[in-house]
Amino acid sequence: MELQALQQTWSRYEEKLEQVLRINHQQAADIAQLKSHSLLGSMRPIKLFTLVAGVVWVLLLNALLIAGFSTFHPFFLVSMGIQSLLTTIAIFVYLYQLVLLQRMDLTQPIVSVQAKIARLQTSTLWVTRILFLQLPVWTTFYLNDAMIAQGSTGLWIFQIGITFLFLVAALWLFVNIRIENKEKRWFRLLFQGKEWTPLMQAMSLLEEVDSLTREAQKS
Amino acid sequence: MNNSPSPEAFLSVLDAHKGILYKVARAYGKTEQDRQDLIQEMTLQLWRSFPRYDSHYRYSTWIYRIALNVAISSYRKEKHLDSKTEPFSKHILEYVDSKAGQDNENAEKEEQLAQLYAFLDELRELDRALMLLYLDQKSHKEMAAIMGLSESHVGTKINRIKTALRKKFNQK
Repeated sequence: MELQALQQTWSRYEEKLEQVLRINHQQAADIAQLKSHSLLGSMRPIKLFTLVAGVVWVLLLNALLIAGFSTFHPFFLVSMGIQSLLTTIAIFVYLYQLVLLQRMDLTQPIVSVQAKIARLQTSTLWVTRILFLQLPVWTTFYLNDAMIAQGSTGLWIFQIGITFLFLVAALWLFVNIRIENKEKRWFRLLFQGKEWTPLMQAMSLLEEVDSLTREAQKS
Repeated sequence: MNNSPSPEAFLSVLDAHKGILYKVARAYGKTEQDRQDLIQEMTLQLWRSFPRYDSHYRYSTWIYRIALNVAISSYRKEKHLDSKTEPFSKHILEYVDSKAGQDNENAEKEEQLAQLYAFLDELRELDRALMLLYLDQKSHKEMAAIMGLSESHVGTKINRIKTALRKKFNQK
């Protein structure tokens, strides 16, 4: 079939659409009245719950750290302080990305808008990397003077081993959670599930945009 | 354009270009519900951008940019507008005749359209956008303005897509 014939079919289809479709003015006007579409209102309940739970957790943790600053053991203070700091950074990075996505100017050309959206979406990886950095502090917050003074060699070998393992895992994940590794099996295992689908799609789109940009530079 | 556009002016523009919304939604939405969600989101984004409409561009260019940007990035949406919640209980785009959408008076043409949409579905998101613009017989200049590519790059991409399209339809 000739391409021209296909275009003619499409053109007749367009004419037909003009005839058979109509705008429901009331519905469209109702949408037009909806001037602000709230950021939090657009989030899935589970994500909103996670975000709220994270904020509440940080607030409670900080209140506890401030209240018990003079009485808590330094291991607890430092471990939980690091945990609170990293969670706060992750929450701010996540909210900042959401705000930027919400404010994206969709009237701009497709390739540049899609590149910006996909880059922002894939930068969610940063949140995951930051959160993984907390791993080692979950193996140190409970250490106290009694354990330090009376702990057996076996206990210390186990303790240092676990902390070292978590530290290595945290640093390895921080360094390796990158788009370049998206086809690796461990990456796919880590980011499987519906919640990560947008991230995986954003990575594919970013590849498409990058390949288009490379072509443009060559042509 | 002033800063407080009239809903009537907006609805008139929307009415004149409703086909674009429908075609883009059909090309990117997998189910009827997805398509209706996309049309609602496109309408919302068009309304929000209406005060900033740049008259240097044609309305179709402006609408294509927004409709395609909404459709391509729909994967990122946390939640579609809830069609079960007022005031979105009905569809923005409706068939005048409920049977018109399945009009079979020309079965061969319907079959070609189904094949064209199947071909569109096989393309990656940005190529699909270019293909839609090609089928709408947009000039390379307008395609370049919508996509943000150079005219020569658009030409190269379109030639590749045309070759794939020819191959696809010659197989049939």
